[in-house]
Amino acid sequence: MERHARPVTAATVPAGSPFAVQKFAGYGVAAVAAVLVLYPAFFLLQAALDVGDPQTRPPTAYGLDNFSGLFQFPQILLNTLTVSLAATVMALVFGFVMAWILARTNVPGRRTFEQLMAVPYYLTPLLGALAWSLLGSPESGFINQVWRELGGQSYLININTPYGIAWVMALFEGSVAFVMIAAVMKSMDPSLEEASQIMGASRVRTMLRITLPLVVPGVLGAAIFVFAEMLGSFAVALVLGLPNRYYVVTTAIYQLVQQYPPKIQVAAAMGVSLFAVMFVMLFLYRRVVMGGSYVTITGKAFRPRVADVGPLRYILLGVCVLYLFAAVVMPLATLLYASVQKIAVAFPAAENLTLDNFRTAMSMNAVRSALGNSLLLGFCTATIGVVLMGLLAWLIYRSRLPGSGLIEYIVMFPQAVPRLVFAFGMMWAWVVFPIPVYGTLWLLLIAYLTVFLPLGVRTIAGVMLQIDKSLDECAQMCGAAWAFRMRTVTVPLLMPGLIAAWLLLFIASIRELGASILLMGPHSKVITPSIVESWFGTSSELTATLALIQTLVVAIAMVVLVALTRRVAAQPVD
Amino acid sequence: MQPLQPRPHIEVDGLELSYGNVPAVRGVSFNVLPGEQLTLLGPSGCGKTTTLRAVAGLEKPTAGEIRIDGVPVYSSARKINVPAEKRGLSMVFQSYAIWPHMSVFNNVAYGLRVRRLGATQIAEKVGHALDLVQMRDFSGRRASQLSGGQQQRVALARAFVFQPSVLLFDEPLSNLDAKLRADMRIELRDLQHRLGITSLYVTHDLEEALAMSDRIVVMRDGLVEQTGTPDEIYSLPRSAFVADFIGAANLIRGRHRPDLAVDDLVAIETTDVQIIYGMAYGRTVGPEPVVSVRTVHLKISLQPPAETRNVWPVRVEKTVFQGDFSQLHIAWGTQRLIARCAAMEPIAPGREVYMVIEPRRVVLLGAE
Repeated sequence: MERHARPVTAATVPAGSPFAVQKFAGYGVAAVAAVLVLYPAFFLLQAALDVGDPQTRPPTAYGLDNFSGLFQFPQILLNTLTVSLAATVMALVFGFVMAWILARTNVPGRRTFEQLMAVPYYLTPLLGALAWSLLGSPESGFINQVWRELGGQSYLININTPYGIAWVMALFEGSVAFVMIAAVMKSMDPSLEEASQIMGASRVRTMLRITLPLVVPGVLGAAIFVFAEMLGSFAVALVLGLPNRYYVVTTAIYQLVQQYPPKIQVAAAMGVSLFAVMFVMLFLYRRVVMGGSYVTITGKAFRPRVADVGPLRYILLGVCVLYLFAAVVMPLATLLYASVQKIAVAFPAAENLTLDNFRTAMSMNAVRSALGNSLLLGFCTATIGVVLMGLLAWLIYRSRLPGSGLIEYIVMFPQAVPRLVFAFGMMWAWVVFPIPVYGTLWLLLIAYLTVFLPLGVRTIAGVMLQIDKSLDECAQMCGAAWAFRMRTVTVPLLMPGLIAAWLLLFIASIRELGASILLMGPHSKVITPSIVESWFGTSSELTATLALIQTLVVAIAMVVLVALTRRVAAQPVD
Repeated sequence: MQPLQPRPHIEVDGLELSYGNVPAVRGVSFNVLPGEQLTLLGPSGCGKTTTLRAVAGLEKPTAGEIRIDGVPVYSSARKINVPAEKRGLSMVFQSYAIWPHMSVFNNVAYGLRVRRLGATQIAEKVGHALDLVQMRDFSGRRASQLSGGQQQRVALARAFVFQPSVLLFDEPLSNLDAKLRADMRIELRDLQHRLGITSLYVTHDLEEALAMSDRIVVMRDGLVEQTGTPDEIYSLPRSAFVADFIGAANLIRGRHRPDLAVDDLVAIETTDVQIIYGMAYGRTVGPEPVVSVRTVHLKISLQPPAETRNVWPVRVEKTVFQGDFSQLHIAWGTQRLIARCAAMEPIAPGREVYMVIEPRRVVLLGAE
């Protein structure tokens, strides 16, 4: 026994006690997550079932009248369906075409285009809506001004229509369709198609009988997922729909809460119904993705077969350029152009050019404090979020503590609820909370940590699941206790994932609109809702300037952080 | 009478482990003596790795008891479950589990740092361990810069550097190519002897098990099929499963003919009414016994042999040349047997030859 450095001393180790830290940390974060999610959800449900006097709380009577009352708004339901369906179809068409071009053909510059496909998503739907409003509103839209100058009648395009709204939503919120469909196309074993060709099938026949059927479940999954996302979309419908009083369900909820007197109960019922529909959608999505898809995705990394499309590739290149022009170049150029004009018009005039908008924007205290608040919130959300969500990811996917399945459901719950609707529940929940957080930045911090739970946990879990479990088990076999293992093995290996999650949370916080617009108080303004307020309250030129400044700040923050993390990563960890 | 044995180092008693409702281990018992290398051998899904991980403390069993140095580290009855890091064991993983964010030195030093050794002591011990696996020159490298065989050596050094009481091996050689695997087998065995460390080894590779083990536990479907030294397992398989899994064997079924028994041999009449003599090795002969004959123990000769027992004229149906040996498919009445003969001049299919089997090579299997 003398030769053993650490003999087993089971007598000194009462069963269970070494897990104390682990259990404490695990159930601690689980409890925090549960409170964050379930507490507001309860208040949302309570408000939806409240049929008593709207002025008194807690409710004096419960019932389902608010839900039956929803049928007073058939127009809103119809609008929501029209916009969401149109946007889904457009997003799928864009996504499918772009995914096929970039994953399966030899179009020049595929790699670059693939990376650029993420840019519209980073520009945010709000920025897209502002830019396209400047471009395509029937009277003053730049495109229509040019059209009239060329001799056209009234207007060429009208962005303030259901299809205009859907177009902008598809461009700026539909990139997830591209990501999902491209992933399916890439993960397809090329030998499946090659087998078909060896058997003597033509290229067209292979495409119709092999490629398409294999891709269908993936596309269907993307369709359901995108549709659910479009149902909960808010910013585009707000900017482009409100001028014509064209409401979808999210903007209607917003209107019902903001108007005087507010119709809280009806709004809550609408929110709960929207949640129910989205929940069914996401449930269907899981079914399609898990049950229906063929096993084309294995652990093997395939090199997808790239078709030589000959001279057609220059036409396809044109398609890619056109797409990025509509989703990135033109919106940004439009905002920039509008921001340096006194009055935004299509044709430049020397006396119309100005830098006053930038001067005004930077000198406005409201803007400065909103931007400062957003950066502060972004920093805090990301930093606290990474710790909280990292522990949750570990708890759900790696620990074997009982109940981790339930915790996963709770954590992923905000995914199925539009942020606006969730914020609605939070508004009530934290108004009655004994510690006064309402109207302060603390409330926004709590809100961001709640609504971004799925985002952060997913991102970290993605990296966590790639790390072989035996790396941690081996440290355990070397005698390292849980906290030591976390510090020396788990966290260092997770570092890239944690940094990515930090960046995502930071960016997501700064661009957050749905929750912030309901929860920010007069002394806790943040930037994105301020841009919306500016759009409806001041000039479009100033708004364009603000949107550009926000984009620039996010871009700079990202560049700085990426540079910093590169430096960290370059240094040896040991 | 067995000689007096030292107290077992590891004792596994009636171990059971289920994943949900799926039983992976269904009551496994064995002992590992101090300094001994015991191998759990079996096809994939037989529960060998699960058993090893239960000993390690990485899986929680559902029933049974595990003792190390006589101290229970798991006991369902006494509700003891010592976590893996407190069991004082060490393990080499199938995937090596070399931490990619650390240098070779830091990988190996990990267990010593956990035990709070001083820097000079760590440097000395790590250097010594890396010497033993011939990796000292690589101590500054990162895992990503090592080949599979080098990673294997680092994993090994890391596992024994802190002088654990027991080393566990989870198919450590299965990710290496065949040549390297054969070299590492010998090296590992040498190292184990030199360190005198108690080892529990898991593999599905028969040659590996035979070459490296003091004793082998053959497992199947979560149960122990047979325990014994490599020679016992090979020469005296107890069941058709072991006979077939441990090297190729011909199984011959028949009827017991006690009336024909001579010289302690068991006489069995096959369905073709051939009489084959075999040995029972202390096992009881059932009414419908099965005997096993290894393919290498079928002697084929062109001339009538001198032996009188277990000699038959047979016909060669097919010859497959396999390099070091040839595999002959032989028609013996209605049965088809396979014989492996050291390379000889090819025998044309259809040729009549003689087949001899020494009765001691005809091993009676235990009743299933």
